[in-house]
Amino acid sequence: MLNVKGNSSNRQTSATRSFFSPNLIAPFSRNALMAAKGSMEELLSAAVDAAKNAGEIIRFGFHETKHVEHKGVVDLVTETDKKCEEVIFDYLRSKYPGHKFIGEETTAACGITELTDEPTWIVDPLDGTTNFVHGFPFVCVSIGFTIGRIPTVGVIYNPIMDELFTAIRGKGAFLNGNPITASTQTELVKSLLATEAGTKRDKSTLDASTNRINSLLFKVRSLRMSGSCALNLCGVACGRLDMFYEVGFGGPWDVAAGAVIVTEAGGLVFDPSGKEFDLTSQRVAASNSLLKNAFVEALQHEE
Amino acid sequence: MSQYVFCALKSAFLPIPSPNQESRIKNQESRNKKQEKMPDKYSMEDFLAKAVDAAKIAGEVDLVTETDKKCEDLIFYHLKQQFPEHKFVGEETTAACGATELTEEPTWIVDPLDGTTNFVHGFPFVCVSIGLTIGRIPTVGVVYNPIMDELFTAIRGKGAFLNGKAIKVSSQTELVKALLATEVGTKRDKATVDETTNRINSLLFKVRSVRMCGSCALNLCGIACGRLDLFYELGFGGPWDVAAGAVIVTEAGGLVFDPSGKDFDITSQRVAASNPLLKGAFIETLKQSE
Repeated sequence: MLNVKGNSSNRQTSATRSFFSPNLIAPFSRNALMAAKGSMEELLSAAVDAAKNAGEIIRFGFHETKHVEHKGVVDLVTETDKKCEEVIFDYLRSKYPGHKFIGEETTAACGITELTDEPTWIVDPLDGTTNFVHGFPFVCVSIGFTIGRIPTVGVIYNPIMDELFTAIRGKGAFLNGNPITASTQTELVKSLLATEAGTKRDKSTLDASTNRINSLLFKVRSLRMSGSCALNLCGVACGRLDMFYEVGFGGPWDVAAGAVIVTEAGGLVFDPSGKEFDLTSQRVAASNSLLKNAFVEALQHEE
Repeated sequence: MSQYVFCALKSAFLPIPSPNQESRIKNQESRNKKQEKMPDKYSMEDFLAKAVDAAKIAGEVDLVTETDKKCEDLIFYHLKQQFPEHKFVGEETTAACGATELTEEPTWIVDPLDGTTNFVHGFPFVCVSIGLTIGRIPTVGVVYNPIMDELFTAIRGKGAFLNGKAIKVSSQTELVKALLATEVGTKRDKATVDETTNRINSLLFKVRSVRMCGSCALNLCGIACGRLDLFYELGFGGPWDVAAGAVIVTEAGGLVFDPSGKDFDITSQRVAASNPLLKGAFIETLKQSE
């Protein structure tokens, strides 16, 4: 499975603590952040352009017959995934040749790229590949940008429903240019929860998944499974969903953009255990701030 | 509360339109440019056209949030104007007044808002579902999602359409490559929830993945247009969830049946649907998951 490594000496502390505490960023990262300040809007604009270019390719291919390969039993990849990643990287590299790049398909082909403090684009060219193959309209391009391992710019674009989610750290979150906020739901029993079945099909993983879902169904209003981690995060950010969790998804490209969009919409992103979110852990939970504690408790109840 | 709203009515607890609404109905009707006909000369296309008008009026976005009941009144009023001798079965009327028996007579079976939880949360899978049965057979179906602007229509024997373009079910032959939709329903007693999650657990070993989107009628439309390969749901509200979707799936080349494999019963609150190639394996898998 994919495993993106970080700076191992302080992976858990500086990255996650500094996600919430800018004063604790190491000097190197602070310089990088200051150097990039004032150009955050340019970075966002470049990411939006790249996302829309890839979106065109996705839209074009959406109704066509797909040639599907398997990365695992149910983990799919298509020519569109690869083509989109190429288009996005070519575009962003031409503007920012000094930046680092992590993409789902490049990682699958060439192996792990370490996530460092340097400005890094983390890209899923097509999140929701199964949906894409079946023509189910929850697909998106996800482009995140980290500085000092902190998600700082996020763009998620669903070209089928024409929904563009954007955020810059400290500057709010938007859907097609309109500000969005997480829901104000306070009661678990009135909450709409999203999760996914994932791609692993061994008995212990599936049993753990459905046992957890069983336990949660007694506590929440209802459950949604839509097939895109990035769009689930956007759903929390714009209040369509109250809570989301997923464990065992592909990699940081599924969450890098969504994390900043949720946070900028006033929501929280955290590890399902309640601990701080780790971008490389392949585990994520998100909710509005009012529900977090009850949600974390409900998640622990089953494990 | 979600910013998405549903009926155009601003007033009225009575099923009588306000002047604005009445003129809107008349404008919609005049767009069809059909001559008035005697009741016994109506065609299936006439029924479909009226159902589409009613669905679009109910789906219209407005500044005032209205209840499901008012939307249902609006739809019934519109259809009763044209077809006064027909019967009407609606989710909200049934909830208020008790069940109406489904007879052989032409009967409009309506869910004014399928996906109410989604509506409340702003999750974009909501729809109006209007079905017409004749001899208890689903014969005309209209399902309209006003948020995604997707209008699914079908007349028995004449194909199924999405926004006027012909649709058909998927050609998937292998269960392991199939996308399955189901719902967790509304019952939260231990026996039901355990049965639901045990079944999903069992199915996850056999299919590609599972989707839960919150609208029975839209799941049937998903089968019809090939976005989904398999769907089943048990214990949904009533025939209004499936009357329109059943004819849309069938006209798209799919099959609608009881999850046990027996014939579909529109009043049973049980439904399964798939393309014809997958039905056998699907039923077998559902049986094994019990």
